[in-house]
Amino acid sequence: MPALEVSDVSVRFGGTHALQNVTITVEEGSVTGLIGPNGAGKTTLFNVVTGLLSPTGGRVSLHGRDVTAAAPARRARLGLARTFQRLELFTSLSVRDNIRVAGDIRNGWGRSHRINVAKETERIIELTGLGDIAGRDVADIPTGRARVVEVARSLMTQPTVLLLDEPAAGQTEQETEVFGVLLGRLADSGLAICLVEHDMSLVMRVSARLHVLDYGQILAVGRPEEIQNDPAVIAAYLGGAA
Amino acid sequence: MHLFLTYTIFGLVLGGVYAIAASGLVLTYNTSGIFNFAHGAEAMLGAFLYWEVRYGWGVPTPLALILVLGVFGPLMGGLLYLVIMRGLRNTAEVTKVVVTVALMLGMLYLSEWFWNPQTDRTVVPFFGITSQVKILGADVTTHELIALGTAVLIGLGLRLFFYRLRIGVAMRGAVDDPGLLELNGHNPERIAALSWAMGSFLAVLAGVLLTPISGGALQANSLTLLVIDAFAAAVFGRLRSIPRTYIGALVLGLAASYVLAYSPKTWQWASNFRVSLPMIVLFVVLIVLPQDRLRGASVARTRERAHLPSVRSAVIAGAALVVVVVLLRQLMNDSDITTITLGMTFAVIALSLTLLTGYAGEMNLAAVSFGAIATMVSYHIGVTGHGLASRSTLWGIVVGVIVTAVVGAVVSLPALRLRGLYLGLATMAFGVFLTDMVLMDSNPHRIPLIHTKFSLFSGGAGINSLVIPPLRIGPLDLHDGTTFLVTATVVFAVLGIGLVALRNSSYGRRLTAMKDSPAASATLGQSLLRLKLSVFMLSAAVAGLGGVLMSMALGSVTPDNFSIFLSLSLLMLTVVAGISYVSGALMGGLLSGVGFALIVSTFHDLASRHGSVHGLFSFLASFATVTPALIGIGVGRNPSGSVHDFVDSYRSLRHRPRVLVGGGAVEAVLYVLSLTNVLGHWWFAILTSVLVMFLPLVGQMSDPARREQEAAAVPLELAGIDSPYSDGLRAELDRALGIEDLLPPERLARSRRNGRRSDGSGDRSMTEPLGAGVGDAGT
Repeated sequence: MPALEVSDVSVRFGGTHALQNVTITVEEGSVTGLIGPNGAGKTTLFNVVTGLLSPTGGRVSLHGRDVTAAAPARRARLGLARTFQRLELFTSLSVRDNIRVAGDIRNGWGRSHRINVAKETERIIELTGLGDIAGRDVADIPTGRARVVEVARSLMTQPTVLLLDEPAAGQTEQETEVFGVLLGRLADSGLAICLVEHDMSLVMRVSARLHVLDYGQILAVGRPEEIQNDPAVIAAYLGGAA
Repeated sequence: MHLFLTYTIFGLVLGGVYAIAASGLVLTYNTSGIFNFAHGAEAMLGAFLYWEVRYGWGVPTPLALILVLGVFGPLMGGLLYLVIMRGLRNTAEVTKVVVTVALMLGMLYLSEWFWNPQTDRTVVPFFGITSQVKILGADVTTHELIALGTAVLIGLGLRLFFYRLRIGVAMRGAVDDPGLLELNGHNPERIAALSWAMGSFLAVLAGVLLTPISGGALQANSLTLLVIDAFAAAVFGRLRSIPRTYIGALVLGLAASYVLAYSPKTWQWASNFRVSLPMIVLFVVLIVLPQDRLRGASVARTRERAHLPSVRSAVIAGAALVVVVVLLRQLMNDSDITTITLGMTFAVIALSLTLLTGYAGEMNLAAVSFGAIATMVSYHIGVTGHGLASRSTLWGIVVGVIVTAVVGAVVSLPALRLRGLYLGLATMAFGVFLTDMVLMDSNPHRIPLIHTKFSLFSGGAGINSLVIPPLRIGPLDLHDGTTFLVTATVVFAVLGIGLVALRNSSYGRRLTAMKDSPAASATLGQSLLRLKLSVFMLSAAVAGLGGVLMSMALGSVTPDNFSIFLSLSLLMLTVVAGISYVSGALMGGLLSGVGFALIVSTFHDLASRHGSVHGLFSFLASFATVTPALIGIGVGRNPSGSVHDFVDSYRSLRHRPRVLVGGGAVEAVLYVLSLTNVLGHWWFAILTSVLVMFLPLVGQMSDPARREQEAAAVPLELAGIDSPYSDGLRAELDRALGIEDLLPPERLARSRRNGRRSDGSGDRSMTEPLGAGVGDAGT
């Protein structure tokens, strides 16, 4: 059973189809890439999965449980977490408190979910390599590292499914390298990761499977090397006949 | 049938005028994103000016109309936008609300300054009262026909404007994407200014038309509130659609008219009900209409800032406050003590705003109204004894506070899925409803079954006021002024420390997270509804406690003591002082409870004592009444509040203990001089404020090292822009860019001397902000 299953999801904004019968699955213990040109509907799909947007059709299930109508907070409790392409950091808190508050929120779910927030915060900061800026105001750090803070924050809720929306945008080459290693380690620990990214070398390196989205529709699904040679994908990306 | 027709026509006319006012509101909200609370006050000013021109100066009606509608209205709107509203980009919703609220209050004060409210002024309908026509047997004045006709024409005109004219289409575009509009060769600023001019024209038009319909007497407050009734219609149009706004306005006008016509005469509350009907409608409409879905922050980062004190420093500050108040007590006479006590109770109410707005980012425009609930409860169950021996009990206060929290929950629960402005409007509707309806309940009702008479807000025999005696528990007796003052201060300090502790707790961090990004909070698993409900209840409880204390300090309260204008001005002054700070609440509370009233009365005093400059002093007194509003309007320039700047400036003094000790010594001398009556109390106050304001400046001037440090704190991307390049700066840039190896050896040597050299690999981003900055630019 896949950790996350999106079946036949459609979203319409007025007359335009932002998503049209999109079906994707994200498996445990691996990275599933989701690529496509700007405006293809990737962020819209994430919004549907996390419950910020209701689909006009189709269903979303987490670990086999239908969550299509569930509130965002409910989905988070079932193990879902995400980062935002347009950073949604808590700008009046420090980097450390941004991460810590996610643990506070988790502890608010109920007794059975309790974690030691202070200890876990330091572990996550260590894991994501944010130690040098942990005390800084989150508004003063570079975009590339702010994206890592978003990832660290989402890890605090101990998710089983993690959606990453362009986490490497704004990162330097070395940072991206380190980030790729982190993604590999997270996947190895059993996390199901769905990665939206424009940095193709990163996507191709870490993804086990790829979905290609274009004009709100799934264009192709397969292993990275299959996708790289898919004529339809090449056409969508490079334009014209391939 | 005849009655029905008469009232239907009246309802339509009233609805038409509401529609004119409401569409102006919708227009300005759409192009600038600012909900204009001053819309009603603009209408009021227009009506007063029309009266002045028409009756004061005796200008013929058509010319007067041209002057007021054609010149004054658009000019006022355009100027308001260009001078004030334009500066509100990237500010929090509450800042926008506060600026327009300040404008509204300022216009009210201004009208009282120019037009003495004691004088009767009436506006005669166009062509006189006798100019009537019969429609199906009902008498309709020409004025009413004109009003109705104008409403129809305005509706059609707006439709044509938005769909046929190039500028109108562009204005619709401004709603969706000002940036795109700019790319298409339009100037969004000019379009917004034009829409404000039109909005103000519509407000003034509504004001001029409305006065004769609603009796003809010009009265600033009621005229302003009457146009606020149009809010309900605008919200029915979801602040976007003019046709829907028109429908809402007509329904509102008809409903008000039918209640007037058909409610039985025995229902004493019917006239109150009619008055508060638009607010009830507003509340219901807000709850029933579908809202915008949850979105991320609409602006990258608002300009508001706040420092977070530790609990330890809050405890020190709290203790210091109590000590200062006790020391100042020695300098005060009895009436001063009463005044300051009142200010302190206001500060407690303001704390509820710090919690709700400052910490959680939600809005309550009727904080003082919640104080009224606690006051009523503790009056009914918590007062024992008679005459001078009467006292309030702790039990009454506790129950009053709990009931207030519950009422807060009941009011906010349906409104909690609303955000920002909408929640604010819902609380305002509740507040106005409370003062217009519940607090007017002074006639005793017979309660079935238990056969007693009961009225919500009356001290007996239909008197519309309550006498709230001071609290006495054991040795603590608030009948004594000093005890009351110290107790109120301690209550404030304890609550303030509590708030700081709360803000530093996991709960407080979750509140901040919700305020900064509701979308991220929700996807992390935070139930926003629960969090908002809890913080709203908590805040209502604090407001309730402050309200009971305020009522005790006043001794006897009337509905006017809980007016919506009071809540609004308290919110305004707290935001001006710094809504995210406990000290902001203190300053805001003291200013609204004491400050300006004191200044005004001092000037009046001076004016009566110094006959020769009487004019100047009474001008200053009038001017002082407008000052709070002027300060409120200025908050757009400094949305973090003045406490924030103050804290900032004193932070730099932390490393200059000598300056602090010196300042403290001077202050101690001033205090002793004042205590021994060498120095007048006013001089003491003035010299103290001068000292407090200038101490940080002294610190800065005597600290050259600090200045250098500040220069170095400029981010590398901006280096060299407002200060000349130095060798050290060059070296740092080279290092950041990683081009040291390309440099001639002598410069390299210099750069090595000037700072640590990075090894060019590994944690680049840590030592090289510029490299990372370039990365930013690429995304």
